[in-house]
Amino acid sequence: MKTIPLEAFLTVSMILFGLGVIGLIARRNLVTVLMSLELALNAVNIAFVGADAHLGLVEGQIFALFIIALAAAEAAVGLGIIIAIFRYRFVESTDEITDMRG
Amino acid sequence: MVRFAIFALFSLWAIISGIGVITFTNPIYVILWLLSALIAVAGIFFTAGAELVGALQLLIYAVAIAVFYVFVLTAVPWEKAKKKASHYRMEGVVSLPLVILLYVEMAIVFLLGVSASPEGKFRAFIEKLGNTEVVGAILFSKYFFAFEVVSLVLLIGMIGAVMIGRKESQTYEDDTT
Repeated sequence: MKTIPLEAFLTVSMILFGLGVIGLIARRNLVTVLMSLELALNAVNIAFVGADAHLGLVEGQIFALFIIALAAAEAAVGLGIIIAIFRYRFVESTDEITDMRG
Repeated sequence: MVRFAIFALFSLWAIISGIGVITFTNPIYVILWLLSALIAVAGIFFTAGAELVGALQLLIYAVAIAVFYVFVLTAVPWEKAKKKASHYRMEGVVSLPLVILLYVEMAIVFLLGVSASPEGKFRAFIEKLGNTEVVGAILFSKYFFAFEVVSLVLLIGMIGAVMIGRKESQTYEDDTT
């Protein structure tokens, strides 16, 4: 079971998490922002499972399962909020939601 | 060696799909790239020996959540939205040094953590029982309270999504424009 080094898992996780962060910052469409967030969550899951295979534990896999469940809840609530915003304002961009003068 | 080759293949696939997620502009293409990335990540889980997490990744992420995104993308009339010129914001270019700084920080933390982490061995009962049985045994004994809390969070999320997404009988005046 030790043929894959931990550095390989962490490198892949780091690259995918960075791509997700870039998508979160640079994207304008609300739905694609949420998709970038899903990519970042998957990168964290890779780090958990890789550390698990390195240390010989199963706690990382359990936390990966919790992250998958919470990502499902986050997608449901986030897409509900996006649909509600679209219904009242007809916007799909993050730049046009400026009610709080942000 | 074969295992590492398969891991490298899935990793390359996942990274290419991640680049596709942040570069394409059409949301349908973006969700297809995200689906490809999720399947590749499931393959990485399988090569790491976590078959339960890989199977749940395929079932929950690549089926349920991706179909949910596709459903939202197709059911909502996005063409009624006020169009903007660009799909990307200038803050993405401006914040690029910060993202590179984040990369450097993650690299330092990960490499220091790898050099300090103990080289553990698989416990004897994990090899005897198998991975999925041990995950289930520890999930339902040591982390049982967290498991129940996650189920409660899912219930609250479902109720909240229904409450947020339903159609209200009265609409409010938009006085901001």
